[in-house]
Amino acid sequence: MAASALLGLSLLVIGESHMSAKEYLINPLHDELTKQGAIVHSVGACGSNAGDWLKISPAPCGGDRKGNQKAVFKGRDATTTPIQQLIAADKPDLIVMIIGDTMASYGKPFPQTWAWQNVTNLTKVIADSHVACIWVGPAWGNSGGKYVKTDERVKYMSTFLKNNVAPCTYVDSLSFSKPGQWETLDGEHFTPLGYKSWSNQITESIVASPFVTARKK
Amino acid sequence: MHFKPCLIKLAMLSTLFVSVTGIAEEMALYPTGPSQDSSFVRFVNGTDQAITLTSSGAKKMVMPINQAATSFYPIPAKSTLKGSFSSGKAQSDIALSVKPGEFASVIALTSPAGLKQLILREQPDDFNALKASVALYNADANCINATLNVVGRAVNLFDKVPAGNLQRRALNPVKISVQLLCNAQRVSAPLDLGLLQAGQRYSVFVLPAKQTSRIYFTSDNIAQ
Repeated sequence: MAASALLGLSLLVIGESHMSAKEYLINPLHDELTKQGAIVHSVGACGSNAGDWLKISPAPCGGDRKGNQKAVFKGRDATTTPIQQLIAADKPDLIVMIIGDTMASYGKPFPQTWAWQNVTNLTKVIADSHVACIWVGPAWGNSGGKYVKTDERVKYMSTFLKNNVAPCTYVDSLSFSKPGQWETLDGEHFTPLGYKSWSNQITESIVASPFVTARKK
Repeated sequence: MHFKPCLIKLAMLSTLFVSVTGIAEEMALYPTGPSQDSSFVRFVNGTDQAITLTSSGAKKMVMPINQAATSFYPIPAKSTLKGSFSSGKAQSDIALSVKPGEFASVIALTSPAGLKQLILREQPDDFNALKASVALYNADANCINATLNVVGRAVNLFDKVPAGNLQRRALNPVKISVQLLCNAQRVSAPLDLGLLQAGQRYSVFVLPAKQTSRIYFTSDNIAQ
């Protein structure tokens, strides 16, 4: 992968808890994208689903990192920032969303209609803003744990997102590892090694995405 | 986001914000989805004249026959929604509850006593942003085996949908016109559905009319 594959691109990366702590994606993914030449703004809000990014929604924790600055983390005073506001401020070329586990309803019946409404409301706002987008789906966890994440449900969630995130490009994180391969702390959140692997694979997928490859032609 | 306060308190009390040396921090517990799925209801004027829809809060909406269907309104599952359809002195009271994930269509129809209702329910699992989704709602008791034939092609979009029933299917986002058949007989003029949009959901209603059935086409919009 050429180290300047994303040169000059402004990237806005938003996501759930996976983007909200020091050794989660907010640092290694931000660093990998920056290495590729992108100007990156990463924003995370724990527990945030797609619809939460259309308004200011409270979160039990969150993180924000701009460019080469250090990430700033918040606790119970964290909130999401509406995507329209982020787009207006950052004027990104590409939006990357890392949302999946918060919408999978682990341990409960899958809320088809709620998930469809939330996903399509967010993608419609992004489509209306004419900014390219990539949706990164959930990765395999370790079955069980306090979130009751199961291989079966995460696969279902991933398929649901694949079918519903257009016009965004879908990145299938399940193809990056085998079930249980990346060690987790609680069934859902990975150790730093897992987040490093996930970051590398997401970056490769972004570099190979239709939006980025079309720019090179 | 729908927090369960008891879970968050439990998380705090249990000091789940644990900092572990050499590994990432453990997250506070939070829900990974709603306690129950979203549900919606819409209202359809299946009569041959304008009617009034009145909510339990006495808000009124006139429903002309050329704008026969409302958007889908969010409604909490398992609660009872009340209201009424009225036309002149005729009235039909509405009392409806829906299941989680359900889309209900309450259709006002003419009856010998004045007004009656038909409620048709969908619980879709076919959401797909790459396909268009079209449903045929047969709300005309006189239209036996409603069929929608694709004009210019020897294929049926829907085949023999009984009165009081609906069918839905996904199809590629293409431009199509359809011809309604009731009991294998052509009814009314062909209807141009236009260029269907990927990710959009649509409904075709077969509704009673004085001489024969009429057909009404609408996008399944969600009221924001």
